[in-house]
Amino acid sequence: MRKYTDLEYLKLNKWQRAGHKILSFFAGIPQGIWNFIKKIGLGLGKAGKAIGAEFKDIVDTFVHGDWKTKLSFPIMGFGSIARGQVLRGILFLLFEIIFIGYMVLTGGYWLSMLPSLGKQGPEKGYDPIYDQPITIFHDDSFKILLYGVLTIFFIIAFIYTWRVNVRQNKISEEILKSGKKLKSGKDDLRSMVDDNFHKTLLALPMTGIVIFTVLPMVFMVLVAFTNYSAAYNGYSNNLFHWVGLDKFNQLLSWKSVQGGQSYAATFGEILVWTLIWAFLATFTNYFLGILVAMMINKKGIQFKKVWRTILVLTIAIPQFISLMYVSKLFAENGYFNLKLFNDMHLFTKALPFWQDKTWARVMVVLINIWIGIPYLMLMATGILMNIPQDLYESAKIDGASAWQQYRKITLPYMLFVTGPYLLTSFIGNMNNFNVIYLLTGGAPVNPAASSAAGSVGYTDLLITWLFKITQGGEKADYALASVIGILVFLVVSLISLVVYGLMPSVKNEEDFQ
Amino acid sequence: MASVKLTNVKKIYDNKVVAVHDFNLDIKDKEFVVFVGPSGCGKSTTLRMVAGLEEISEGTVEIDGEVVNDLQPKDRNIAMVFQNYALYPHMTVYDNIAFSLRLQKLPEDVIYNKVTNAAEILGITDYLMRKPRALSGGQRQRVAIGRAMVRDSKVFLMDEPLSNLDAKLRNQMRAEIILLRQKLNTTFIYVTHDQTEAMTLGDRIVIMKDGYIMQVGTPTEVFEMPENLFVAEFIGAPKMNIMHTELSCENGKYYVHPFGARLPVEGDKGAKLNELRVPGKQIILGVRPEHIQLAKEAGPNTIPVKLEVNEMMGSELHLHVYTEDGTRLIVRVPTIDLDPEQRNSLVQGAALNITFGGKVMHFFDKETEHNILLP
Amino acid sequence: MKTRKSLPSGIVMLIVAACLIAVCAPLILWIRHAAAMDSASFMETCQTIVHRIAHPFPIDPDHMGAVLLTILMLLLLAIAVVLVIVAVINLLRGPRDEQSRHMGLRTANAISNTAIHILLVVISVIWLLPFIFIVLQSFRVESTYQVGYIIPEKWGFDNYVSIFSAGSNFPRWYLNTFIMALATAVLQTVIVLCMSYTLSRFRFKMRKPLMKFMLVLGMFPGILGMIILYRILSDLGLTQAHAVPGLILVYVASSGMGYYVSKGFFDTIPKSLDEAARVDGATRAQVLFKIILPLSKPIVIYTILTAFMAPWGDFVFAKYASMNNQLGMNVAVGMNTWLATPSMLFANYTKFCAGGVVVAIPVVILFMCLQRYYVEGVTGGAVKG
Repeated sequence: MRKYTDLEYLKLNKWQRAGHKILSFFAGIPQGIWNFIKKIGLGLGKAGKAIGAEFKDIVDTFVHGDWKTKLSFPIMGFGSIARGQVLRGILFLLFEIIFIGYMVLTGGYWLSMLPSLGKQGPEKGYDPIYDQPITIFHDDSFKILLYGVLTIFFIIAFIYTWRVNVRQNKISEEILKSGKKLKSGKDDLRSMVDDNFHKTLLALPMTGIVIFTVLPMVFMVLVAFTNYSAAYNGYSNNLFHWVGLDKFNQLLSWKSVQGGQSYAATFGEILVWTLIWAFLATFTNYFLGILVAMMINKKGIQFKKVWRTILVLTIAIPQFISLMYVSKLFAENGYFNLKLFNDMHLFTKALPFWQDKTWARVMVVLINIWIGIPYLMLMATGILMNIPQDLYESAKIDGASAWQQYRKITLPYMLFVTGPYLLTSFIGNMNNFNVIYLLTGGAPVNPAASSAAGSVGYTDLLITWLFKITQGGEKADYALASVIGILVFLVVSLISLVVYGLMPSVKNEEDFQ
Repeated sequence: MASVKLTNVKKIYDNKVVAVHDFNLDIKDKEFVVFVGPSGCGKSTTLRMVAGLEEISEGTVEIDGEVVNDLQPKDRNIAMVFQNYALYPHMTVYDNIAFSLRLQKLPEDVIYNKVTNAAEILGITDYLMRKPRALSGGQRQRVAIGRAMVRDSKVFLMDEPLSNLDAKLRNQMRAEIILLRQKLNTTFIYVTHDQTEAMTLGDRIVIMKDGYIMQVGTPTEVFEMPENLFVAEFIGAPKMNIMHTELSCENGKYYVHPFGARLPVEGDKGAKLNELRVPGKQIILGVRPEHIQLAKEAGPNTIPVKLEVNEMMGSELHLHVYTEDGTRLIVRVPTIDLDPEQRNSLVQGAALNITFGGKVMHFFDKETEHNILLP
Repeated sequence: MKTRKSLPSGIVMLIVAACLIAVCAPLILWIRHAAAMDSASFMETCQTIVHRIAHPFPIDPDHMGAVLLTILMLLLLAIAVVLVIVAVINLLRGPRDEQSRHMGLRTANAISNTAIHILLVVISVIWLLPFIFIVLQSFRVESTYQVGYIIPEKWGFDNYVSIFSAGSNFPRWYLNTFIMALATAVLQTVIVLCMSYTLSRFRFKMRKPLMKFMLVLGMFPGILGMIILYRILSDLGLTQAHAVPGLILVYVASSGMGYYVSKGFFDTIPKSLDEAARVDGATRAQVLFKIILPLSKPIVIYTILTAFMAPWGDFVFAKYASMNNQLGMNVAVGMNTWLATPSMLFANYTKFCAGGVVVAIPVVILFMCLQRYYVEGVTGGAVKG
């Protein structure tokens, strides 16, 4: 595969160039993979070096520090208070006291139980006072896992704060040595609205994200390695324990489940449909939305605002109403069939919109178009209006027809600006719960796959399957759901990585500015 | 009292790019100093370090004897006029100018006096209730200056304030800035890429290239005694003519031999060459276009050239000529004493003879590009 | 001047028409296979097809594939016929001069404009039709189940009355959702703006890693977290009947991750405004409140609007949090229970329509009043995101 010089490349015709591009793409794959591995290696190396440097710094600070610094190692904040920064010192000290108190009182307990996730489950006992059997509850696996993880987070936070405390001492010593003054408590407060304002602003949002997104994610990833389910809920019936990769094996095994399909086959089927659905949903909406926007925007079309307003109106109506209603509209005894079959006898039998596999899949794509086009049209209209007019003027002077202008100016500009949007839209559609669940609930049901934890249908996405597994009442298997969640994440990140790798031009904003 | 002192100031970005190398400068109180140079030379970066908008990587900046490296912009008592004016679009002109005063919690009548005074000086009293989008470029410029004026700050910083104006307005504003300087009587640091602005406005000029200071001096100094080739070519328009030639010494007299001619070095320069005992060698010779004359006929001290382009500038002609070996030179000829016959002979391809005197030559070392006559 | 010889356009059109007609033959074979008539001969198939075109109804849904293919074939034949006619006219008339070619362009333009207008009317009707249906059916009094006609025989407000009557939980759902919408509108806006302003204006060391981290975090399916959040919330007593504060907490706490649109907007405000204000003596906090926010009205309204509208449409999280307790449901989950089983659907269909109208109207009015800001947000920030 030789590389062409610029002049040589220009000499090639269309086909040769296409061929060259395809060949070089494939030839570049091994190199790309090798680069990726190298980057990971380098990253790990850098991380290792950074950690090593941190340790060295800590030891350094202790060895070269004065007695205030040395005492700050066991007693956090001591150095700060001793040097007059009372506010900071007290905050450090408080944190240390709270942490030690927590660890002694409950933290240590949760940590110790973490490896086993509970030793004693509920046992049957006897209540002599009321003369009836009762259940005595002991350990709670769920609580152990939850608070154990929280404790680990807390420990990490403490280590980080302790490290900040150590570094503070070193910095304070250096400042004093060079003759400058330390920042007072008032200075600190003032900096919270000035140079450290970003920390003040980020505090609340980041806390929320950590507690309500990061923590559940970490937890669910860990659950995937346990056998937490409705039958093993860790408290009232059975404890659950670490089972390693058992659940992964269960999901990916080709053994048939209760006489029906294996989990792996079900997973494979649903994954394929999810990808196909995401692709269709994204691209149909995208191109049709642009088409509608261009139609309305064309010179000579009257009542532009009316068309746009009508479409925008449909965005305002809460989606669930539209979806639920349409779902019933096309049901076997819905309006559509009642009118066209029962009344007008246009068909030999009721149209199986949600009963036939292919019909249902086509219907969800079509209804999704109905829901999605107004939004895409809005976006496309905005972009169309932003294309600099002098591009068109110069093209007209060069002799381009209207069609050529569309092809060479409008479409590339549009594709360029909304390229990143396509990726996020694709991923969003992969996880588009509402449209599938509210329209079909996954129907029509796939009988062979039904036995695999909850009923599975031909329009189910991975995410709706996940939902059903967690709602299966007594058959609910949360660990299995977590495994599916992790796999979804892996698929999504793989796709994102590949796409971003293929489209470096996404980052070249200068071309169009 | 507001002197500004920069000592060993460096600016190094995260990716190890050095924007400013070892900048040292002492600016006296009430001095008007201009930083000038091509784009990317580090002049704006240095100004922003003085302002506190960029972190100082190394070195110290002192304002009035106090090291201000760790002070926020608002604590440094400086005022700044930005290149694109940076007027607050949602406030009226009055509110724009009053903004900083209100932050200082001054009483409203004091603010009123200060704002209206500044507006009068700048001639924008009629626009006080308008919003920036209703003003022209020149008017916005004045509002930006007004905003900086009312602060009674120690140092007045201006970052290419005239770049966004058209040529005629620029000339007008230049004069107004000179007047402003007389009225305000404070220390100015002014950044521009236009050497004309630098020459007309500055008490001293700092010429920068690639983050280094090339020369610091008064306009006269940098024009008549450029320290190096870069300064010589940067100051003065059209550019100084550069010739690679030989400097020879015969019996204590020095000659240069450009393109076959033999021209004696006269006056102070010759004496200085003698004093420094400069040996004969290959040098870079610089002569400004206005110092080259047309000779009536060829001779031992003339250079034969051919005319390529004749630019009519009004009061003078700019003749673009080239020598036998293709070196291009520019000659400025005043039109006022030119007789019609001579003028008509100045057509494309015409053969001319040029010469210049020994007092107007600049000598630069071939390797270091440094002015041979200066230490 | 073309130096290559090119065929006159008429000939080209005839060739294309011939190709289209030729394609019909394999299409007929495909139709035969789709209609499960493999035994029939080619002629028999053609006869059947012609017969079916003459008497289209009733259509057998199982043979939908054959129906669609027949329609396709008819379309191709129609295009071929048009092409032949135009080609013949072209060839008979000979080459046209410049002027008539321009006139041809203008008529072509007029034709396409009319076609587009018709298309737009059709599109508008299709898009609005279901909503017209819902409104009409909500006034139906004579029955509560699905029927085969749209216009009610008897008009009345019975359905509206019944959803607000004593036995229905609809008012409770409505109130729940309204409170959540209000609280979310305020709190989420604050959090999102804090996040997007910081990421747009400040350059601190962890900035890029933070943005990448949130990008990756967003790739996890969100509903997975609900399982554990439900457990935490129920320990705090914020589920089932008291799901509302719990849901507000869930919506608002992680809303910082949705900063893209606002950040894109803030990026368009020049940084020199910040710098001028800081030189003038403002702290960074003062810069935000006195300079940036007054200039950000469109994006603030956009954020408030989208934050307000979100709880009205949420299904999954609300379903988890309320866990079958009617008192804690929002309108989406609640109205879904009305249609859960066929027998419930039987009794509640028209109620559902009425409920839908009541829910939609205030939201739509609010949206249409502020649509300018919504459009600005979508076209400005969302695209650059």
